[in-house]
Amino acid sequence: MGNRWVAPKRLLFSNSIKMDPQVIIIGAGIAGLTAAGALAEKGHHVLILEKEAQPGGHVAQWDRLFPSRRPGSEVLDHIRKIMDGRVEIKPGIRINGIIAHDQDFTVLTEEGTSYTGQALLIASGFRLFQAERKEEYGYGIYDNVITSAEVETVFKQGKKLLTSKGTLPQRVALIHCVGSRDEKVGNLYCSKVCCVTGVKQAIEIKEQLPQCEVFSFYMDMRMYDRHFEELYFEAQKQWGVQFIRGRLSECSEAPDQSLIIKTEDTLTGRPLRMIVDLVILLVGFVPEPETGKLVEMLGLSTGEDGFILPSDEHYNDNLTTVPGVFLAGAVKGPATISNTIADARAAALQIDSWLKTKP
Amino acid sequence: MGELYDRLAGDVRFVEGLKACLNCGTCTAICPAAEFYAYQPRQIVDILQTHDDQAIESLLKSETIWYCGECMSCVTRCPRGNAPGLLITVLRAASQDLGYFVESEKGRQQLAIKRTVGEWILDYGYCLYPSEILPEKHPEQGPVWEWEHEHIEEVMERLGANYKKTGPGILRKVPQEDLDEIRKIFDVTGGTARFNAIENYSKQKAGEMGIDLDDTLDNDYMKKIYTENSQNHGREL
Amino acid sequence: MKVEGKRRIWKDYQKEIADDRYFYVRSCVRQNFFPASEKMFFRILKEELGKDIFENAAHTTCSGIGYHSDVVPFETTMTMVARQFALMTESGYQNFTTSCITSFGLYTEILETWHHFPEVEARVRENLKKATGREFDKPSNLSHASDVIYKFRKEIGEKARYRLVNKQTGQPLRCVEHIGCHYSRMFPGKGVGGAEYPYVLAGMIEEWGGEVIDYPERRHCCGFGFRQYLIQANRGYSLSCSKKKFDSMAPYKPDLILTNCPGCPMFLDRWQYTLSEMEGTTYGENGQGIPVLTYEELAGLVLGYDPWDLGLQVHQVPAEPLLDKMGIPYDSNRKFLNRDGQSMGRPKAPSFLKFY
Repeated sequence: MGNRWVAPKRLLFSNSIKMDPQVIIIGAGIAGLTAAGALAEKGHHVLILEKEAQPGGHVAQWDRLFPSRRPGSEVLDHIRKIMDGRVEIKPGIRINGIIAHDQDFTVLTEEGTSYTGQALLIASGFRLFQAERKEEYGYGIYDNVITSAEVETVFKQGKKLLTSKGTLPQRVALIHCVGSRDEKVGNLYCSKVCCVTGVKQAIEIKEQLPQCEVFSFYMDMRMYDRHFEELYFEAQKQWGVQFIRGRLSECSEAPDQSLIIKTEDTLTGRPLRMIVDLVILLVGFVPEPETGKLVEMLGLSTGEDGFILPSDEHYNDNLTTVPGVFLAGAVKGPATISNTIADARAAALQIDSWLKTKP
Repeated sequence: MGELYDRLAGDVRFVEGLKACLNCGTCTAICPAAEFYAYQPRQIVDILQTHDDQAIESLLKSETIWYCGECMSCVTRCPRGNAPGLLITVLRAASQDLGYFVESEKGRQQLAIKRTVGEWILDYGYCLYPSEILPEKHPEQGPVWEWEHEHIEEVMERLGANYKKTGPGILRKVPQEDLDEIRKIFDVTGGTARFNAIENYSKQKAGEMGIDLDDTLDNDYMKKIYTENSQNHGREL
Repeated sequence: MKVEGKRRIWKDYQKEIADDRYFYVRSCVRQNFFPASEKMFFRILKEELGKDIFENAAHTTCSGIGYHSDVVPFETTMTMVARQFALMTESGYQNFTTSCITSFGLYTEILETWHHFPEVEARVRENLKKATGREFDKPSNLSHASDVIYKFRKEIGEKARYRLVNKQTGQPLRCVEHIGCHYSRMFPGKGVGGAEYPYVLAGMIEEWGGEVIDYPERRHCCGFGFRQYLIQANRGYSLSCSKKKFDSMAPYKPDLILTNCPGCPMFLDRWQYTLSEMEGTTYGENGQGIPVLTYEELAGLVLGYDPWDLGLQVHQVPAEPLLDKMGIPYDSNRKFLNRDGQSMGRPKAPSFLKFY
């Protein structure tokens, strides 16, 4: 470009016309917030559009995070500090159109507003599997069948885990692979984080209720990341959590509202019946339904698992087939929080490089 | 890939029933036979997955494949879309057609089923027939059935049946030309061959065991297969 | 228990059930043990609902029991089923309805097989032609007879003279519903309400004023098991399955068990008798059993038909306690009379199970 300094567009129109953000981020979960902070640090103007009333995504609802069981709020606060004052978040937004122009994108909302940016980061995340879809487990029918997300809420509110009758449970069963690795509900993939979540919650339950028997029913123990395997060992050795290799086949309710679960202990090859006070379903990830609209609007593609496909799974994992449209976080599939933060920073770097190529 | 495996894999029910098993156990968890017998449908699928002809041959000769009640509870639950219950039907078919069924106590029972239900299909056009359900062979049917059996024609008339008569109606006499069609269907589709296999292999086995087997329902071999139970079919505690 | 949760699931599994012009095929077990139920099905459809239901006298068993006890090869069974379809086609019908649940499961399985493996269908057509000269169209609608009664449960309810209510207490009768395994286990989408919380019988119970009871072993097979019953040496399996169910439902004190399979009512009835003889156990009140009914018997009672026309006299567990609860009058003296009103004697009474 030579020595001639060209004033960036926004300075020329700073007072009279609304400043266009350079980057529009869809989703104010941990991925969107992390990327926003990283981009702001590099001097970019970022706008986050969020569909919920509050930012923070799923992490805002978790109590303590695996593997160390540190509070989720600590992580969220740290990420926010980086962003504070430098990033605008608009909550309660529903996107109903995206127009890709030559050099930028205009996002149209149901509220009637529009925003134009030079890069788009899709960080619209995931939903948790709706446990009632796994009909044979009786979620939404039997009172003492709850999800791992509900357990997090109980702990986050500082409450005790109780049965539907308000009593302390004497025996609970944690069920792995709910909504994942399951052709019957249409999700063949593994949701990656549920196993270690199960181990974590088993320990937390034992911590709160030392007298309670805790059984975990698993197919495989996916302890792939740092400190996971040690956490599993701790759960067994220190806390006495019992792990049985067998997937839950059926849950039914006894007259006193306790639950009768049927599994097989596949390691000894014996069918097993057990009466428990609470069944906790470790629900997996499913694609966020709203993302499907974005995929259509932008002409992106999804994998057979329903999550968005990046441009290349190894070396262009944050890019899509559409120049200027980027991806970060669980919108691409199940991911841990550490993975997501790293991924969001990588996406920010990609976006930063890409913006530097623009006039 | 062995011959035996290939033979099984040629059956559409095998194609439908065996995708790939990850040994999660949801089938065995819900299986009624697994509650009472030393049986796990998971094990059946596991063995078939090995493609090992020797293991499959042992299976065809074993008691194991005869424990299933074909209730299909396993099919409802399997997260991989397998169907152990369907695979059992394929194994039982092969076991009979190849003559391996006579090597097990439960397998040998097939002759009794062929000579009752099987023959009644051809003779009456029904799988069951009142005059054939003898109270002494079915004490569990109770005194009401005993009474009913004694007065069967009157009871059937009272209840609105068309017992043994022509025309439409309950337990009507199926016309001979239609029974002939059924026989032809059996001939053309391998049903007759199956019936013959069951008979011939059983006769051979009865000979080997030195037990009398004539063409009736009341000989030593028939009595034996109908009532014999080694009491050795349960799970070890 | 949140029934709302069940209703949401029931909504997801709706199926198309033809509303008239039924080609009916009979059930081997029901013709033997519940003939009056099949008779009542015709009466309800023709006389109460004004429907066209047709039986071709040339039809036979589908060979389901033979198939599931593995003496009849799949190829043979498929061809016998094809022959039934040919009779339907020849009679000018397209809506096929089966009296038997195993048949329903089998017809469904076969149609699905032909859908996924057209070469199998082609071969069956060829074999049918070779053996019988017949050709067939596939049915445009396949239903089970209980689906049809379910479909018209409101109409039946409107004509009802009796409700599923205890006349003495005013409380709804506590009804256990038991679905035959082959109704929706293999293809949940083909059953009203799916496989986990089927609604085909629950719908009837609710419509006619009863309360549906859920209990832990609701989904457990009754234990027919085909070869597990046909051979005496195996009957322990069959009996044990039913016993599991009785032990599980007893604390809920059901007034009746409603079933839609031919075998299930027979087994749930006879095994109560057998258990009483073996152990002295009875599952109803005061040495009574829990009456087990077919859906035609229940519909017939609700519509006001005479219990002895409905065939309740050939149940081993007497239905009289239920009739008393519902306020349905009956003449005990006419229970064991023949069509001409003459005595046929009486069955002996069991050792423990109350008999009337």
